[in-house]
Amino acid sequence: MTIFLQSLISGILVGGVYALIGIGLTLVFGVMRIINFAHGDIMMVGMYLTYMLFSMVGIDPFLSVLITFPLMYLLGVFLQKVLINRVLDALPQNQILLTIGLGLIMSNTMMLAFTSDYKILSTTYSSSSFSVGGSSISQPLTISFLITAAITGGLYWFLVKTNTGQAIRATAQDREAAQLMGINVKRMSGIAFGLGAGLAGTAGALIAPTYYIFPQVGSVFTLKAFVITVLGGMGSVVGAAIGGIIVGVSESMGAVYISSGWKDVVVYVIFLLVLLFKPAGLLGKSRM
Amino acid sequence: MRVNRIGWLLALGLSLAVPGSAQAPKPVKIGAINSTSGAEAPIGETINNGYILALEDLKKKGINVELIREDDTGKPQISMSAMEKLATRDSVAGVVGPYTSACANAISRLAEKYRVPLLVPVASKEDITRQGLTWLFRLSATTDDYAAILIDMALKVGKPKSIAIINENTDFGTSAAKSAKAFSESHGLKVVAEEAYAKGSPDYRSTLTKIKGQNPDLVFMVSYVADGILLMRQAREVGLQPQAFLGAGAGFGNPAFAKETDISNNVFSSTQWTEEVTWPGAKEFAKRYREKFNKEPVYHAANAYASLMIMGETAAKAGGDREKIRAALDSGKWNGIMGEVKFQDYDGYTNQNKHPMLVEQIRNGKFETVWPATFTKNKPFYPFPKWK
Repeated sequence: MTIFLQSLISGILVGGVYALIGIGLTLVFGVMRIINFAHGDIMMVGMYLTYMLFSMVGIDPFLSVLITFPLMYLLGVFLQKVLINRVLDALPQNQILLTIGLGLIMSNTMMLAFTSDYKILSTTYSSSSFSVGGSSISQPLTISFLITAAITGGLYWFLVKTNTGQAIRATAQDREAAQLMGINVKRMSGIAFGLGAGLAGTAGALIAPTYYIFPQVGSVFTLKAFVITVLGGMGSVVGAAIGGIIVGVSESMGAVYISSGWKDVVVYVIFLLVLLFKPAGLLGKSRM
Repeated sequence: MRVNRIGWLLALGLSLAVPGSAQAPKPVKIGAINSTSGAEAPIGETINNGYILALEDLKKKGINVELIREDDTGKPQISMSAMEKLATRDSVAGVVGPYTSACANAISRLAEKYRVPLLVPVASKEDITRQGLTWLFRLSATTDDYAAILIDMALKVGKPKSIAIINENTDFGTSAAKSAKAFSESHGLKVVAEEAYAKGSPDYRSTLTKIKGQNPDLVFMVSYVADGILLMRQAREVGLQPQAFLGAGAGFGNPAFAKETDISNNVFSSTQWTEEVTWPGAKEFAKRYREKFNKEPVYHAANAYASLMIMGETAAKAGGDREKIRAALDSGKWNGIMGEVKFQDYDGYTNQNKHPMLVEQIRNGKFETVWPATFTKNKPFYPFPKWK
């Protein structure tokens, strides 16, 4: 029972960070219909930013979210205005090439600047934990889960209640109709990509104290983000949040009850089952 | 008369040309496949540093080597195309590398196909030299050796009864885990858990909790550097408390791991080389390495250095002729910073160097050689202290 609880709890906590990565990707896809292959690399930039703020200025990784998020938001808006915007109506393969290229440039720039050495961000609480009913709970992961929950809640409120949020959703539903209703869709695209980058950067900051940082770390998370996004339904924020938790828990359960080497298989079997019985994803609407 | 003058000029020209060419002999081309980008890059860099020092020393000996470097990013398929390029387009005399076991295993048959002498410096999966290949030589010890020295030490300094094995599911990891299991069982240790994980995951807590439930006396781990740190951090989190943590080289022998003193102190790691060995030139090598790169020398660098020295000298002596190099590697004997190197056939191995292993223990962020007693006076600190 302890083992079950332990794996459930650590699965949910890690799933929270996955969810944040997935939400960023799904938001960008929803509004612009672009699959951002550089998403994991944007997250990697966020990790390095957190690392630099911590090692040079001494800002706690969790506090640094307050700096990382706006900076990454600006980077996102910049990338959208200068590059992504030009391929919005281009063929999908051109969009894919652009985002993959962007990712490569980012990871190789980081390699030039920081070398390929692993950076480990060691805070005083990096491996501390507290115990609840016999299972140990990682302190940094708990904090990052709470932050993730707060951000997801805030984002949901923003998208549902505010004017800008509604405009973003309108753009996601039908770009042309939204434009006809007087919504500045270009601006909305910029905001959406900025938010996506900001969320990815935040996820990077939140995972930095418990993970390791190196220039190629992004690819691991780009793949995870895809699975989460498709699982939850492409473009659905709540779907991505649920998808993240599902991936986290099934990895953790798979590792305990089958074998560590098979945990990805568990994730992909669930993924395939969802696609088989609900091709649009858990909360997705059929678009075609 | 005119003919005579031209003859003189020709003679003059020749006499000028001959000593010139004697001073700078045609460089011998050697290929080096390594992982200098991708997840294995930190260790790839160490290997490259070893090559840089070897090139300097070869030059001092009057051997001019043109080293053609190929990066395989740690992927077997890229390693294979690099090998094909080196063997055909660059027509190198021999190849040293690649770093990982998966890559070395993948290109082992290509060496045979293109008839290029291949010298493997650090990849240790035992199967690599168990295929009866005649063009492949390995300086590195095998995973059997990695596991045997650690478990043997634990059995001699403590009284462990059970062991848990955690390994990444790569060629190196699986091979080392298999070796550890076989050695444990033949020495009366009970294997209570075997966990192969896919690397790069941020969460190993559930696996470690499961192992904690078995309460093993020894925990044997096979990982590259980043996962090594995560595993130990999370082992501390879940309170896994064995008598000893045994790391099979690779990540656990890397300075980046040692620096994390909170979790790295008192962890054992098997290694092929430390600067405390009595082999000729080892101490000077360590000193030069520190001065030049401002980093701690580790076995990957020493293995790489010795491999390129052997390949360079042999290739130059054979005038770049592949068949002659192969014969010279097969019959030759060298003595340098890695001790005596000789490629022998034994226990099903072909062209395998019998290399003695050492055990290091991390103390205050530094590696200290603690085993075997023939190399050091230090004693291993056992058992592992309670987590704070």
